[in-house]
Amino acid sequence: MTLRKLLVLGLLLTVLIIPVGAQAQDTTVLRVASTASVTTWDPNLSFSTEALYMANIYEPLLWINAPGAAEPFTPALATSWEKSEDGLVWTFHLREGVTFHDGEAMTSTAVKRSIERTQAVGGASFIWLPLASIDTPDDLTVVFNLGYPAPVDLIASSLYGAWIISPKALDAVEADEAYFEQGVDGGTGPYMLTDYTADVEVVLGRFENYWGGWQDGQFENVLINIVPDAVTQQQLLEGGEVDLALRLPPASYDSFAGNPDYAVHVNSTFFNYVGFLNTTRPPLDNVLVRQAISYAIPYDQIIEVGAEGLGTQSRGPVPAGVYPYSEDVPQYTQNLDMARDLLAQAGFEGGGFELRLTYAAENTIEEAFAPIIADALAEIGITVSIEPMLFSQQWEEAKADPTQAQDIFLVLYWPTYSDAGSDNLWSLFRSSDVPFFNLSYYNNPDYDALIDEATVLAGTDRDAAQVLYTQAMQMLVDDAPALYLMDVGNWYAVPTYLEGFEYNPNYAFATFFYPIRLAE
Amino acid sequence: MSIQRLFLGKRAEALEQKLNGDNPPPPVEKWRRVKDIVHIIRRDFLAMVSLAVIVLLVVLAIAAPLIAPYPEHGEGHSNQVDVGNGRMDIVDRRLEPSSQYWIGTDDLGRDILSRVIYGTRPALLASLVVVTCAVLIGVPLGAVAGYYGRWVDEIIMRITDLFLAFPSLLLAMAIVAFLGPSLLHAVIALVVSWWPWYTRLVRSVTLTLREAYFVEAARSIALPDWVIILRHILPNSLTPVLVQATIDIGTVILATTSLAFLGLGSRPPSADWGLMVKEGRQHIETLWWYSSAPGLAIFVTVLAFNLLGDTLRDVFDPRQYR
Repeated sequence: MTLRKLLVLGLLLTVLIIPVGAQAQDTTVLRVASTASVTTWDPNLSFSTEALYMANIYEPLLWINAPGAAEPFTPALATSWEKSEDGLVWTFHLREGVTFHDGEAMTSTAVKRSIERTQAVGGASFIWLPLASIDTPDDLTVVFNLGYPAPVDLIASSLYGAWIISPKALDAVEADEAYFEQGVDGGTGPYMLTDYTADVEVVLGRFENYWGGWQDGQFENVLINIVPDAVTQQQLLEGGEVDLALRLPPASYDSFAGNPDYAVHVNSTFFNYVGFLNTTRPPLDNVLVRQAISYAIPYDQIIEVGAEGLGTQSRGPVPAGVYPYSEDVPQYTQNLDMARDLLAQAGFEGGGFELRLTYAAENTIEEAFAPIIADALAEIGITVSIEPMLFSQQWEEAKADPTQAQDIFLVLYWPTYSDAGSDNLWSLFRSSDVPFFNLSYYNNPDYDALIDEATVLAGTDRDAAQVLYTQAMQMLVDDAPALYLMDVGNWYAVPTYLEGFEYNPNYAFATFFYPIRLAE
Repeated sequence: MSIQRLFLGKRAEALEQKLNGDNPPPPVEKWRRVKDIVHIIRRDFLAMVSLAVIVLLVVLAIAAPLIAPYPEHGEGHSNQVDVGNGRMDIVDRRLEPSSQYWIGTDDLGRDILSRVIYGTRPALLASLVVVTCAVLIGVPLGAVAGYYGRWVDEIIMRITDLFLAFPSLLLAMAIVAFLGPSLLHAVIALVVSWWPWYTRLVRSVTLTLREAYFVEAARSIALPDWVIILRHILPNSLTPVLVQATIDIGTVILATTSLAFLGLGSRPPSADWGLMVKEGRQHIETLWWYSSAPGLAIFVTVLAFNLLGDTLRDVFDPRQYR
């Protein structure tokens, strides 16, 4: 009896598991699997994974295009803009006839209030540091007055802290700071937030009055399932239960690439992996030892094992494609003989010391390639103990007391907005009294001076700043306070029944659903 | 045959015989007991198999370098070979099973079979250490609590309650998260969460033993408490502990590998089964043997210890003795 029940149950389960190969037959709903959970629905505060949803609900003044596009920017809520000669005054002309989801008109006052609230409370408020004041000479003109020159076009196209929000919603959130958290929005974007269950799903619905208009084939609703696990996402995609899976296991690349039902999009990203070397104590305070280690690393294997070959060796800490990346910055390539020579010159003939390497346990790429670093250093006589920690713990330890901290700190880093000069080069290597992201504890006054000058210069003359940045990056390679491991690529497998999917490395955490449509 | 007899100290045996003077028990042949145990184990086919599996695992663990076809870490930690010009390259990554690599190779080109074989070492060693330490801490405390009763008992039992209130794996996870992930820390965490079970077990046995004639007799000839606990209480309470410990070895292997799977145990590049399951999970759709091989190893090992533990219980539990 029980056996028979079991059999029936087993049969039922089998039937349920057999993939039905469901395909999106109509444009009612686009089903998406994503890892992105929502830390806040407040567009001013948003500085985390919810950017995926924000980018479809809200709009900034401009969007920055992917590297290689004909134009650097795509107009969004602003149609044109100009800056003064000294780079201190930026004027934006707004798009006419745009309304917020709540029916309010989009005006210069809305822009001013949105950015002022970000400055006051925002998670990414620092991007507006150069901004002194905002003027609104008329309804469709906004003037940004800066305290010092800065690339406002890059700042205004940020994925964090640059959303323009309805004045009505801003009134509501001023009265009740948790207003947005009930799952409401105040954007102008193509989709509206219609339903939300924490850590389960987000449902977006079409905003009929979107200024960009709607055409056949675009989706009416987007249902995003929050699925943290890549293997599960792969199963959902292959079983036809979702139309898009935004995180697939790296190792499944070959199976999708060989499947005619999917188009595999391979992209470069602005993410790169850096291994900070602790410069505060022996033996890594010796530049020769750091160079030896840089020569011992098999960069191509790290790319092979860590990113399934979808990556390139970094040139310094600035990823390819983002300002101020430069091909002139040299790279180390593995040369164990050279590494051994340098160690001997430094007085460490044959190595003979131990180093402690920490990485973020939740990062499977670091987990995959960390043993390769240990292996390579073993070749030159250096013993590496590998220690996975939760990123928060890893970071806490690194910030606490540099002289007691790890020897090698692996980190995945990316610029907050598309300027790695004021972010990667400044945040990761400029000296500071209390360590924050400079976890090599690198302290070089010459470098600091170059970077300080370049970040200001970049506001008016980007090419001149590039020269200084390149010098600074050259310095980082020579001094080797860190290992510049790889710029990672990524890929998406998109079913061939969908078209219009685009990836923009400037918005790595966002996928834009508006351009996606059902193929003819 | 009583449970006490099996491990009875000579002195207490004599005392007990004196007390039972009118009706002395028949003399027990030494070999009879051993024969009984062998008989039961032989009759129980599964127990025989599980015993064989355990012996095999121990042999594999001890002689891993002789048995495994490849070294634990390939050439370096991975399967790196010198390609000249001062450069190294990884060879044989992620191969399918073949006559050369029986269950294929992993992400870093290492032979999976060899690593499963080497994996017996951390698995058995860690669980043996955990169970031994838990017994060494838990058993004396349980005996003391049970023997003295009253406030001593109260204090010790409330402390065990404190630990038992948390699910043991959860407690272990919390401790490892605090100490930082490593096999040693996982072992420490599991000892901390495991000993109270033995305290409870031994205490309950001690409660009944305390009232036994031979203990009363020992007390009546003014033997010091520690002698009574050491000579008469502990030896007689060891049977259930032995059964529990055998089963626990399996359970602890499951716990250490779970911790490793969650990133809270062994660190790469160790050949730990939990870690291997975790690494292979990424490839479950294409290279299913990658995580299945260590998974099967965990399954077989845990099952073997459980079955053996069950059989031992049958042997030692007089109520089930046939």
